[in-house]
Amino acid sequence: MLPALMLALLASSPLGGGEQDAATPRAGEVGGPGLALIAAKILSATLDGRGVVDNAVLLVRDGRIEALGPRRSTEIPAGYEVVDLGARWLMPGMIDLHTHIGGTGDINDMVYQTNEGLRVSTAVVPHNPAIEKDVQAGITTILFIPGSGTNIGGQGILLKTGLDTFEQMRLRDPGSLKIAQGDNPTRWGYGMGRAMMNFHIRTAVRKGLAHARARIQEDDGRPRDTVDIQYEVFEALVDGSTQVSTHTQVYQLVMNTIRILKGELGIDVYIDHGEWAAHKLAPFAQRMGVAAICGPRIIDTFESPRSDTDGAILSVPGEYKRKGLERVGFNTDAPVVPGEELPLQAAMGVRYGFDASHMDHLRGLTIVPALVAGIADRVGSLEPGKDADVIVLSGDPADPRHGIERVYIEGQLVYRAPDGTEGPRLW
Amino acid sequence: MVTRPQQRVAAAALAALVLAACRTTPEAGAAAAGSLGDLDEALRPLGAGERGCVVVGAKVFVLDQADTILAPGMVVVRDGRIAAVGPVRPTPEGFERLEFLSAWITPGLIDLHSHVQTGGWGDINDMVLPINAEFRVAPTVRPGNPEVARACAAGVTTLFGIPGSGTSMSGFGVLYKTKVDSTYEAAVFADPGGLKVAQDSNPQRGAGDFGASRAALAWILRDANDRARAALEQGRFELALENLERVHTKELPVLIHTAGSEGVANTARMWRRTYDTRSVLSHGCFDGWKARAFVAQTGIPVNNGPRTFDYGPSREGRMIGFTDEYVEAGAQLISLNTDAPVMPQEELALQGAMAARFGLSDYLALRALTIHPARAFGIDGRLGSLEAGKDADIAVFDGNPLDPRTRAELVLIDGQIEYDRLRDGQRF
Repeated sequence: MLPALMLALLASSPLGGGEQDAATPRAGEVGGPGLALIAAKILSATLDGRGVVDNAVLLVRDGRIEALGPRRSTEIPAGYEVVDLGARWLMPGMIDLHTHIGGTGDINDMVYQTNEGLRVSTAVVPHNPAIEKDVQAGITTILFIPGSGTNIGGQGILLKTGLDTFEQMRLRDPGSLKIAQGDNPTRWGYGMGRAMMNFHIRTAVRKGLAHARARIQEDDGRPRDTVDIQYEVFEALVDGSTQVSTHTQVYQLVMNTIRILKGELGIDVYIDHGEWAAHKLAPFAQRMGVAAICGPRIIDTFESPRSDTDGAILSVPGEYKRKGLERVGFNTDAPVVPGEELPLQAAMGVRYGFDASHMDHLRGLTIVPALVAGIADRVGSLEPGKDADVIVLSGDPADPRHGIERVYIEGQLVYRAPDGTEGPRLW
Repeated sequence: MVTRPQQRVAAAALAALVLAACRTTPEAGAAAAGSLGDLDEALRPLGAGERGCVVVGAKVFVLDQADTILAPGMVVVRDGRIAAVGPVRPTPEGFERLEFLSAWITPGLIDLHSHVQTGGWGDINDMVLPINAEFRVAPTVRPGNPEVARACAAGVTTLFGIPGSGTSMSGFGVLYKTKVDSTYEAAVFADPGGLKVAQDSNPQRGAGDFGASRAALAWILRDANDRARAALEQGRFELALENLERVHTKELPVLIHTAGSEGVANTARMWRRTYDTRSVLSHGCFDGWKARAFVAQTGIPVNNGPRTFDYGPSREGRMIGFTDEYVEAGAQLISLNTDAPVMPQEELALQGAMAARFGLSDYLALRALTIHPARAFGIDGRLGSLEAGKDADIAVFDGNPLDPRTRAELVLIDGQIEYDRLRDGQRF
C-alpha cells in the first residue's frame, strides 16, 4: 500500500523527523516543537492585499500557523526545527469544492428524485488511490459530494485529504446538501423536464425547512420526540452550519438556483459548474451574494441552444469575473477532470481569459473556495491561527511544469516527493 | 504593415540590444555555422518586387543541431524563406520590422497526428475494407477552417491531416500549413504526405470480416504490404497499391496508430524490421512504454499523444509520464501530438507542458514540437527549425510556449503574417 510505504519512508528520512519514535509528535505537529519553513516566496493568498512575501519564513506550531513574514524581520524562536527550502515557494493547500473521490463510488443512490437523508460520509476511504493523488498535487481540502443522478443526491462532507482516519479527515459533516438543478436528473425515471425538477426541489426544500423550523421551536422546552432523518439536514441549513452545493449550469438553471434557493428560500448556496451562457447572470449573482465555483468545463463555446459565443471560445470563470462577480473559484468534478489537475483548471481559465493580473487565479484555488464553503477561519490562506495546511512547490501552481515537493496538513508532513528524481516530477 | 507602439524601439535601446546580443551554443563544436545563414547577405538591399521582414525577440530558439539560442536575436525573412538568424541589427530600408521585446521566437509547431483537415469530426473514416490504401484525405481538406485557424493562433503551423483509425490502413494523409485565408494549393505542403496505419485497438471494433484480434490485424497489414512489394518487384501497376508501393520505396513516410506493449512492439518490428520503412510510431500509449527498449533498438521515431501518461491499474496508483520513459530508453526523435480534435488542435504546446510535468526537459519538449517531428517525417529540409533556407514558419510567443498562460503574439507562415493577436484578436 502506497501510503504505508510513504509514511515508512518519511519516518526514516532526515527531514521527516530523524530517528524519532512514530508516536512522538514531530516539529509543527500538535504537541511537537515549532517548525520554521524558509522559502524564496510565500503566496499567502489572503483575500486582500498583495499576498506575496519574498525571502520569507513561515512559523508553524501545534498544527497551526503561528506567524509569517520576511526573513530579515521575523525571528525564529529557539528550539524550532528550521527547514530551508531554498528557491521553493509556499502556498496554502488547495481546495476543491466539487469532487466524488473521497472514497468508494457508490454515491448515486437514485431511490427517489430527492434523497436529502443520504450521506456520502459512509463512503469515505482514507488514503484511497484517488485522494492520494490529490494530496500529492497539493489539494488538502475537498468537498466530497453525491453524484447528480437525482435532484437532491444527499449530503456531502468536507474532508482534509491526507490524514489517516475518518475522524481526522472530517472538517465538516454535513459539508453540504447537494442539489442538482437540472440536466443529469432528467435521465432518471420518466424523463422529466425542468419545470418538474424545480417543483421537486422546491417542494423538498420547503418541506425540509418547515420541518426543521418546527423542530427548532420544539426545543424551546418541549422534548424532541419526532424524528425524520430524511429532513435532519435542514436543521443545519436553518442554523447556518451547512450550505447547499449545486450542480447547476446553463442560464435558466443557474437563474433558478439563485432565485429559488437563495432568493425565495434564503439558503446559503453557490453556483457550482455554472457553464455555458450562465455567466451572463454574474451581475445578478453578485447582487444576491452568490459565488461561482467553475469546472470541470472551463470554457464556453457555441452549443445551441445552451450558448452562443459567436464563434469565440470564452473562459467561464473569466466571464463571471469580467461581468462583475467578485468570488470566482475552480473545481475539477473529480474524477471527471482528475483531481490532481485542479491547478490546471486555473491555468486553462487564465489561458482563455481569466484575469490573473492580481493573482486571483491563486485565490480561486484557495481563499475563495474557503470563504464560499464557510471554512476560511481554518483554511484557504496562510494567516496566523489557521491550520498549517501548506504546500511547497517549485513555482506558480498554474504552470503545469511545476511540481509539488511537500504537503503539510495541520503541520503534519503528509507527502514528500520521492528523492532521486530530477526536476519537478509529481508522479 | 503592422504598426504597434511596443515594437518601436529607441535607437539607444536598440544599440544596447545589439551590444547585449550573444549566441549560446550548448554543444560546443557541434555548431553548423552555415545553417544560421549570413546576416550581411540576408540584409542586403531588397531587389525589385522582393519582400523581406525581420522578426526580433528576447530569445530566438533556432532548434538547429547546435541548439543555438539567441538572446536577444532576430530572424531575417526574404521571399517567404528564412535568410538568416543572428544577433539584433538595425533594419535596412524596405524590410518590415516586427519587434517584440520580451518575446520567445520558435519555429512553427508541427503536429504529425491530426484530423481537423475537414473542420472537425467526420469524413475521415471510410470503413469500406480493412485495407483502404487507395484512399487519400486530399479531397476532404478545408484549408483555414476554424480548427485550423485556432491552431495557427497557438503557433501551430504544420499539420499531418490523416484519416481515422477505423480500419487497418485507412489511407493517405496530407501535410498542410495552417494558413487562414488560403487555397488548397497554397496551404498543402505535400500530398500525399504519408500513409496512416492503425495497428491496434480501434480497427478491432470492426474492420470488415476480420479485425477481431491482433493476429488478424497483423495478417491484414502484412498481406497488404506483401502485395505492394510483389507489385513493385514485378513492375505491375495496381491502382489500389500505387501509393503503398511508394511507402516501400521509402518515398513516403508512414504514421502508425499503435498502443499497448504488444501493439508497440508489433509496430516497431513490422515497420522497421520486417519492412524497412520511413515509419513513425504514433500514440504508444497505455503500457506501450514497456516496449521502449525494443523501440529504441529499432530506431523508430516515437510520436506520443493524446495521452502522455499511463495511469493503468497496474501502476499501484502511480502515474507514469511515458514520453520521458521512451526518451530515457533511447527512443529516437520523440515528438508529441494532439490527435485533434481528440485534444483541441490549439493545445499542442500543452502536450509539451504535460510531458514536462511528468519529467521531460523543457527544451526536449520544444524539440518534440518542432524539429523532431520534421526529422521523423523527413521534412526537416524545409520545416522544423529557424535555419537559413527553410520556410519562414515562425511563432512569436509572449513567454515560454510550454506555459499554458502564454499567448502567441504573431505567427508567420511562408513569411506571411497569418495570425497577429492585436489585429485578429483572441481566437481561443
